[in-house]
Amino acid sequence: MMRINMLLLLCVVVSALYLVNVQYESRHLFSELDRARAQAHKLEVESERLQVEKRAQATSARIESLATLRLQMRPANPAITTYVAYAASTPDPAGAAKPVNPSSSSGQVR
Amino acid sequence: MSRSIAYNSSPLLASPTPVWRSKFIVAAIALAFAGLAGRAVYIQVIENDFFQKQGEVRFARTLALPANRGRILDRNGVILASSIPVPSIWAIPEDVDRDPENLKKLAKLLGLTMAELNKKLEDEDKSFVWLKRQVDESVGKEIEALKIKGVYQRKEYKRQYPEGEAAAHVVGFTSVEDMGQEGIELAFNKDLGGRSGSRRVIKDRMGRVVEDVGEQIAPVDGRDLQLSIDSKVQFFAYQTLKDAVLLHKAKAGSVVVMDVKTGEVLALANYPSFVPDKRQNLTGEQLRNRALTDSFEPGSTMKPLVIGLALNTGRVTPQTQVQTAPGRLTIGSATISDSHAHGMLTVSEVIQKSSNIGTAKIALQMPAREMWEMFSSVGFGQKPQVPFPGAVSGRLRPYKGWRPIEQATMSYGYGLSVSLMQLAHAYTMFGRDGDLPPISMLKVDGPVTGQPIFQPKVAQEIRDMLHLVVGPGGTAPKAQTMGYSVGGKTGTAHKQEGRGYAGHRYRGVFAGLAPIDAPRIAVAVMIDEPSDGKYFGGENAAPVFSKTVQQTLRVLGIAPDMKVVPQVVTEAVEESF
Repeated sequence: MMRINMLLLLCVVVSALYLVNVQYESRHLFSELDRARAQAHKLEVESERLQVEKRAQATSARIESLATLRLQMRPANPAITTYVAYAASTPDPAGAAKPVNPSSSSGQVR
Repeated sequence: MSRSIAYNSSPLLASPTPVWRSKFIVAAIALAFAGLAGRAVYIQVIENDFFQKQGEVRFARTLALPANRGRILDRNGVILASSIPVPSIWAIPEDVDRDPENLKKLAKLLGLTMAELNKKLEDEDKSFVWLKRQVDESVGKEIEALKIKGVYQRKEYKRQYPEGEAAAHVVGFTSVEDMGQEGIELAFNKDLGGRSGSRRVIKDRMGRVVEDVGEQIAPVDGRDLQLSIDSKVQFFAYQTLKDAVLLHKAKAGSVVVMDVKTGEVLALANYPSFVPDKRQNLTGEQLRNRALTDSFEPGSTMKPLVIGLALNTGRVTPQTQVQTAPGRLTIGSATISDSHAHGMLTVSEVIQKSSNIGTAKIALQMPAREMWEMFSSVGFGQKPQVPFPGAVSGRLRPYKGWRPIEQATMSYGYGLSVSLMQLAHAYTMFGRDGDLPPISMLKVDGPVTGQPIFQPKVAQEIRDMLHLVVGPGGTAPKAQTMGYSVGGKTGTAHKQEGRGYAGHRYRGVFAGLAPIDAPRIAVAVMIDEPSDGKYFGGENAAPVFSKTVQQTLRVLGIAPDMKVVPQVVTEAVEESF
């Protein structure tokens, strides 16, 4: 009888210590998780900020002023535009619209 | 073992101490235990809640989880407004290290004078004072590098408007507290705002979160809003308008571009405008979203509506002859006149030459009620159905009080008032089969069906007449644009001043459609008080229309429907593969 009691007591003590350990681990992990979440939020915010920044650098107003002032460009109009019509069923419009053909570009490299 | 010692009879024990003393001690100890037990019961059972709470206060914290304000996007997903956290600088005055060298640097970074900074810091009783809210990220970093004691930073959301002044009136702006103040920001404040949440946590000694307690209320982020605005069209419209207002030394101007197929507003620009990020010296003039908040007498731009009604009811055909000679017409005691005497005109020519007399004569064949019903059904005299702060309804008096002279003047746009948005909206029906689509500031998918006003045939006939206006012999050849056929109607109105009309103050208006055979857009332009002598709508507003149409159709990817003489220097050669 006594022996069983001792065994149970030992079990209780071990389990109690284990519980303390688990609790500690869990708090540790939780704070880790929380930090990771904060980091994720920070990155999200940063990406949003960069998107806005990118947009601010590419607004029509900025492009227009740079194009006319620095690059001396002028607005396009139909008279200086060649319109290329392609059927809506063209399988690869991206390929059709490719501006430079391979032979000429290799020629430039040379 | 013969006899035991009788301890109880020891002479040592025969002390004089009375028995009650030991009993008293026992009782006292028992009482102390009872006291402890009572206290334990008190703490753990009776006042348990209170002590639980007190304990929690010492380690549990409620964290606010702020909701992000939704973004405002244009129809192609381009950002028009977005919230970004930026540093705000605050200080605890009594803690601030008053090293003059450092404070001088701080003042410079904050853009304050030394006196202003000292004033903010002088009240030492305060434990919190904003030095400057929402500064740039780089400024925040530099201030951090100064390491001044008692000066702190906190992140606050600030609204960014990359498009700047071009879209300022549409998008509007928010206050420093992230609440909508103007434009879409105000109109859709609830949707954009979201709802902030909270979570309750246990923090350890180091301030790290170690456990969640209780329920979390997740924040609900604001909804992203996709407008019908196209940022490129918006920019071009604004730019063209700005140039025209400056060129004609006008007081102000507005332009509205609408998609005829869907009733979407592609662009809505006003000049003067403002930069939403820099609102320090804002005047009411700059702030006004004129296209919606100002109503004006639309002048001759009303004529197509009245003629359309006459065509629709079969009272006239485009070829019906109307006598407009000798250029004056007396109705009751008043006389109306044309700028030139035209003689006999067909109904089409009445529009083309913009004859007041011709229009008035046709209008007087119709009962006042019919005209009133047509005007109301296209939205005049009613608030446009756009959720915009301050949108006006314009003025359309009940038909019962119309005298014949009033009906006549109304037919050419005097005696009633509309906003530019209402005018552009009304013109969309000529670009369709005579039905009027609902206005939308938000992106719409696919064509919409409108409320029928005119028969499809009438809309077609009006389009032909509008095309004549911009052709030779019309009032607005300057509305023509390269590559695209257009049609529209000019309007020039004397401005009302008090009860009468100002002799020398005008408003030039142009409303039209393009491409005229299969319209895609309706554009309305208004130039307020041009002061360089070019006061006709055909001279100041029509060129704005022309340029706006050119750029808009190009941006929308619509191929030119007219032959143009190509000026391409080199011919394109077949690509070889």
